[in-house]
Amino acid sequence: MSAARRDVRITVNGRTYAVSVEPRLLLVDFLRHECGLTGTHVGCAHGVCGACTVVLDGASVRSCLTFAVQADNSEITTVEGLADGESLNALQRAFHENHALQCGYCTPGFLMSLTEFLRETPDPSEAEIRERLSGNLCRCTGYANIVRAVQAAVQEM
Amino acid sequence: MSTSDTATDAGTWVGRTVPRKEDQRLLRGFGTYIDDVPEPRGTLHLAMLRSPYAHARILSIDTSEAEALDGVVAVVTGADIAELIPPFAADYEKPGFKVSHRSALAPDTVRFVGDGVALVLAENAYIAEDALGLIFADYEPLPSVADVEDALKPDAPRIHADLDDNILIEGGNKTDGFDEVFEAADNILRERFRVNRVAGTAMEPRGCLAVYEKADDSVTLWTGTQVPHLLRVGIARYLGWSESQLRVVAPDVGGGFGPKMYLYPEELLTVAMARQYRSPVKWIEDRLEDFLTTFHARDHVYDVAVAYNNDGTVQAVEVDVLVNSGAYSNYPMGVNLEPFQGPLNMPGPYRFRQFAYTTKGVATNTCSTGAFRGVSAPCVTFAMEGMMDRIARHLGIDRVDVRRRNIVRPDEFPYVNVVNQLYVSGSYVECMDRALEIVDYENYLANQPPERLVDGKYRGIGIAVVTELGGQGAARYKARSLPDLPGFDTAHVELEPNGRILATTSFASQGQGHETTFAQIIADELGVSIGDITIRGGDTENSPFGTGTFASRGAVVAGGAVMRASGDLREKVKKFAAHLLEASADDIVLEDGHAHVQGVREMRVSLYEVARAAYGLTDSMQLPEGEEFGLEAIATYDPPASSISNACHVACVAVDAATGLVEVERYIVVHDCGRVVNPLLVKGQVQGGVAQGLGQALFEEVLYDSDGQLLSATLMDYLVPTALDVPTLEMEHIESPATDNIGGFKGAGEGGVIGALPAIACAVGDALVAFGGNVNRLPLRPDAVLELIEGGNGA
Amino acid sequence: MKPAPFEYFVPEAADEALALMAEHGLEARPLAGGQSLVPLINMRMAQPGVLIDLNRCAEFAYLREDGDALVSGPMTRQRELELSPIVRRHCPLIAKAMPHMGHATIRNRGTAGGSLSHADPSAELPGVAVAMDAELIAGGPNGRRAIPATEFYLAELTTALEPEEMLCEIRFPKATENSRASFAEVGSHFGGLAIVGVAGQVEISASGHCNKVALAATGAGERPMRLTSAEALLTGQVLDERIIPDAAEAAAADVEPLEDLHASAHWRRRAVVAMTAQALREIASQGVG
Repeated sequence: MSAARRDVRITVNGRTYAVSVEPRLLLVDFLRHECGLTGTHVGCAHGVCGACTVVLDGASVRSCLTFAVQADNSEITTVEGLADGESLNALQRAFHENHALQCGYCTPGFLMSLTEFLRETPDPSEAEIRERLSGNLCRCTGYANIVRAVQAAVQEM
Repeated sequence: MSTSDTATDAGTWVGRTVPRKEDQRLLRGFGTYIDDVPEPRGTLHLAMLRSPYAHARILSIDTSEAEALDGVVAVVTGADIAELIPPFAADYEKPGFKVSHRSALAPDTVRFVGDGVALVLAENAYIAEDALGLIFADYEPLPSVADVEDALKPDAPRIHADLDDNILIEGGNKTDGFDEVFEAADNILRERFRVNRVAGTAMEPRGCLAVYEKADDSVTLWTGTQVPHLLRVGIARYLGWSESQLRVVAPDVGGGFGPKMYLYPEELLTVAMARQYRSPVKWIEDRLEDFLTTFHARDHVYDVAVAYNNDGTVQAVEVDVLVNSGAYSNYPMGVNLEPFQGPLNMPGPYRFRQFAYTTKGVATNTCSTGAFRGVSAPCVTFAMEGMMDRIARHLGIDRVDVRRRNIVRPDEFPYVNVVNQLYVSGSYVECMDRALEIVDYENYLANQPPERLVDGKYRGIGIAVVTELGGQGAARYKARSLPDLPGFDTAHVELEPNGRILATTSFASQGQGHETTFAQIIADELGVSIGDITIRGGDTENSPFGTGTFASRGAVVAGGAVMRASGDLREKVKKFAAHLLEASADDIVLEDGHAHVQGVREMRVSLYEVARAAYGLTDSMQLPEGEEFGLEAIATYDPPASSISNACHVACVAVDAATGLVEVERYIVVHDCGRVVNPLLVKGQVQGGVAQGLGQALFEEVLYDSDGQLLSATLMDYLVPTALDVPTLEMEHIESPATDNIGGFKGAGEGGVIGALPAIACAVGDALVAFGGNVNRLPLRPDAVLELIEGGNGA
Repeated sequence: MKPAPFEYFVPEAADEALALMAEHGLEARPLAGGQSLVPLINMRMAQPGVLIDLNRCAEFAYLREDGDALVSGPMTRQRELELSPIVRRHCPLIAKAMPHMGHATIRNRGTAGGSLSHADPSAELPGVAVAMDAELIAGGPNGRRAIPATEFYLAELTTALEPEEMLCEIRFPKATENSRASFAEVGSHFGGLAIVGVAGQVEISASGHCNKVALAATGAGERPMRLTSAEALLTGQVLDERIIPDAAEAAAADVEPLEDLHASAHWRRRAVVAMTAQALREIASQGVG
């Protein structure tokens, strides 16, 4: 059985993509394969690891648990939309300076979750930071340097 | 560019905290992991039909409906490819080792849940998975066994019918005079330790993209591997191809940790199918497949007996090791690694002179097990440190004193231990003393009530003195009967015509930071900034042959090769510079991207000018006599046997008396990996390693039921540490440089895990000392801990 | 892990959604936040032929006071329940429980109705609904009917909803001024999935006596369960250390835990005791009305 394709208009990092998709196409596959934005990664495809986190209409979401059709007429920011040209943003810079990434696979998901977090919680405690980070899994860093990076970014922002 | 690239402080690059060069692309989402490699037009997506049975005979496979589905190009079974991809096996000679074969797709018998039965090639991954549901395979279930001890029983189902039993490898040894010393000791303590099966759980699952090159009948395989060169050797060998027909490229890899150092069926299948169908073929593992088929680790049983005197000195140690090897032996390690590394690592920092062991690697109807950060070292260290605490409790001596009486002392280096490991240098006592100082051990003890219970929590402290085997070279691998591990690595360093430096190594990177650390080493050798250096690797076509990335060998072996090659290049640069400056090469100093005459800084040429001359890009001929055009050097490095790092880990835990939930409240590491290339990155390795060890100690566990069905197949069931589990380490370094390798470096990748299992287990044991304090199996999940509290377990 | 094909409808009105449910019956699944359903779809453990996406049904997303009740639409996001001042004011138990549910990113998308209908025995919101005696309003071909939360949960992942029915509204009774609430839970580690939780809401008189006690446990049976023995023991008593341990112990008899790979049945029972004590202590620490 194949279901009818649907036309969608989705704006990603300021650019609008008007395409026709199968309803079952996951948003993360749309971003990666239709838009070529491969910075958003699939770590588990069941909503636990957070590697695929993007910001959809201002709110962080798991792009592996959302269908592309559901993002019709929405605006999405992915990791590729964070830096201002050549300059990393404050959070990215803090990740770099504090060695908050190793293999880097989970990193885009952390950055997108934290982008929303720091907007909502500009002066977080360490406990609040760790609570927020607990929604994303990292297998390399042991998290300490991610906590440091968030604290450093808060100082700078 | 990274802000650090322009740093020009005096002093060397090695030893400095430098943020990583690779971050720039990874933070922007510009990393290229396997699924990000651009797919050529017409790429076929491969999906695997996997066995739902732990052990079964395949009776029939009906592929007709799947083949009829729109978008499906082919459905292939084990029978179809039996000749194209013959069964493969680690087939070396070693007493006690039996060769067992694995087929990329099972032709007749499946041996674990997840074993490949058929594959689909389709125009996209969604359709490929649709087609899997339309393949109808009939099986005759066979008796199966998942537990290692059950597999040893005489009536156990045989995993490989052509073998006499399920023992894939066995061995043992005993020092001369062992029995006498063992019998003569004042006390003998016996204990059984069980170490849980875990999964590496790299955040990026495996994957491959095999691209057929019509022009020369070759295949380029992009794959998420730690060992591109070894894979090319293995694939060419098993497919009967020439190596020039195959290029293996490891792109950015989202975590390795050991499981990605093996040749997997999907790598053979994508390569063979790409050539067969003259098309690019891609397979991306999903998380369920990762838990089912990416090699697991541990699942060991250790029966330990320690003979010790009343003063706490250990006289002799005996261990019988059982390793659940899973269904198949694998390339390039066979099943040799875990069973023998356990005994090798057992003595650790201790001086006892009598040792006996037996060891077995046993086949079961489960996923293969293999290397994972630390291999057997975390397990045997958990056992040894557990024994040290038990000895202390039995004798009423403080656990620190028991350790102090047994560990290698500062004046004993170089020291050769009971299994012939050479410790050229180390700081075993110093690390322990410093760690105890940081935690304020005396004060901790003074404030700790005998029953340990304060405000509903039992609190305890655990100490682990740890050695880490790293940087192994050819001599060690040959002594361990690992013929498919060469042991050396290689670097090629060149000064490009524009005066910048490009180095390619035989290594592949999975996040270790080689682009930064190797650049630091080269920067010192050539007097340039790391911003002027590009490091590449992971591509058999563009990088020299070598062993690859595993077993904490980066700094020692690849770093050594980089150092040698850039040293050779330095001498060539000096000759060209000397010619240009009309000076003697011996008087040339390389500094700040220039060559100048010693003592006369104004007499200088830039590396750009040197490069132009060396590549003949000048008005007149500038070739020194006896030199050839070009500025490049290639060097291998094969270190002596191995480097042994050391550390002391101290964990402070709180055990909730009502739920058994363990919280690690403080964690201290004093760490010695010889000369440190980049303290920031070493700390990152240790913190990350401790996190993985904490996970294994407290809650990670791969579970099979008695029918061999995998129960922990998702991240909801296989639990990985979060930011709320792992404390920020309090960490210090002591540097005892290796005296027998070129850089003075020692390995730093695995010590974190090795220390965390024993430190946390001992801390929980201390917290529960009122109930016996004997932790002898992991993980310490809340229900298991509550059982210790409620049941006690006798001291 | 790619979803099987499905037919997709995205109704913009509640009636339209209900009509689609009636039309497609057993084949159809309503798609709310998708945080539980889509993982199952990705793993092909659920392969609905028809998905009825409720995310564009504006009339399903609301939160308002209605007399003695706080009323939520099924598509109200969990994040809104967590942050809403009226929830905090009138149903403090919900506000206390929400931060425990999944993670912020999950709650951004996850909905009240989705979690309540999914009926995971370890989920927090069903426990809260059972503790609060919420009313779940089902809508279907024969109109709407109210189901008490205590009767809504039949077994693991099984509710009293008929195949063509859908949860259309949730009515939480407002807590009285002198009600105190707490939610406590525990898992195998920190920051991961919870295994056992206890939701508690206690009305405490000016004299410090418990007028009305409501306690419910999650993860300790096939469905959320009221801790009736503990409730009975506490009613009329002063909530302090003289009674909390006994009440918590009494809760052990109220649950029917099962063993799975995460924890033994025995541990779950002990965890109910521990979480009951923790929730009651937290309530006691909030002072009297």
